[in-house]
Amino acid sequence: MSKENGILRGELKVIGGKLLKCQLALQKDIIISLKITGDFFLYPEEKITDLETCLLGCRINLKDIQSKLTPFFQHVELVGADPQDFINLIILTSKEKKK
Amino acid sequence: MEKWRLLIHQTHDAYTNMSIDEILLKNGTPTLRFYQWSPSAISIGYFQGIREEVNLKACKEEKIDVVRRITGGGAVYHDEKGDITYSIIAPIDFVPSNIQESYEYLCTGLIKGLHLLGVPACFSPINDIHINHKKISGSAQTRRYGHVLQHGTLLCSLNPDLMFRLLRITQEKIKDKYIKNVKERVTSLETIIGPIEKDKIIESLIIGFKKTLQIDFTHCELTPEELSSIPKIRKKYVQRKWNFKR
Repeated sequence: MSKENGILRGELKVIGGKLLKCQLALQKDIIISLKITGDFFLYPEEKITDLETCLLGCRINLKDIQSKLTPFFQHVELVGADPQDFINLIILTSKEKKK
Repeated sequence: MEKWRLLIHQTHDAYTNMSIDEILLKNGTPTLRFYQWSPSAISIGYFQGIREEVNLKACKEEKIDVVRRITGGGAVYHDEKGDITYSIIAPIDFVPSNIQESYEYLCTGLIKGLHLLGVPACFSPINDIHINHKKISGSAQTRRYGHVLQHGTLLCSLNPDLMFRLLRITQEKIKDKYIKNVKERVTSLETIIGPIEKDKIIESLIIGFKKTLQIDFTHCELTPEELSSIPKIRKKYVQRKWNFKR
């Protein structure tokens, strides 16, 4: 985990699964930029940008992120991680700012 | 027995190799393809950050191309001499609808081929083949246009010092693998059975696919239409916009 130029960086290794990485920028508690990378599989692949954009403007808390991502994951197939791993990754990365 | 097209003896640069796989997927003609990379290259998964995964300075020094795949999964070093890559293009209903099961299903061809060479290979979920708990092959899959493309690599020989100088692999990545460092994670055919010609390996893999998937193969070349599509598709794979998109 690290913070550089206002960008928070985090990683989450899913046990028996894939490595998820996150780059996150917050203004107060609002997500203003988000990028999720890693060696997971998501079908269709181009939907990853929908995941990232649907969270822009979202408050960084479990309930708000969950309510945005639950409908998203109903329309894609994920291999190597669970939807909850993505949520945990984003929350974990956001905690970097408090360190 | 169903008949599929077989394409072998193909050596291209990274951008052309990825273009051909994309063209084959769009066309959808059931195909098994074996190919190699010249110059040596790194392919990264669709979702990976290029700077996070690849030591770009070392790649430049070693004249290694870097290309983003249309499939997810991890970064792979494709050595000009030590790598055989395969791709399978099949109708979507040829494979189990469950993606995890479909990886295992298509990998059985490779595993059977390796068994025929006397190598005790086994499938390791999610998308790998292992020998003695070490990775020798990894695959990646996408599904589009009603077809599935699965491509993957087989490590014939290994230069772990170079491989792990080019790839950035953190301890986090291997923390559930019960190994001390990344070099312990991989093996090669040469390490297991000694030097072996690539043609002999490919021959064995073809028999493996034939037996497990119940497919007969006909040796073919790319069609004139497929060949003429390469320059246009290749432009995408060369572009910084594509390779640095994440």
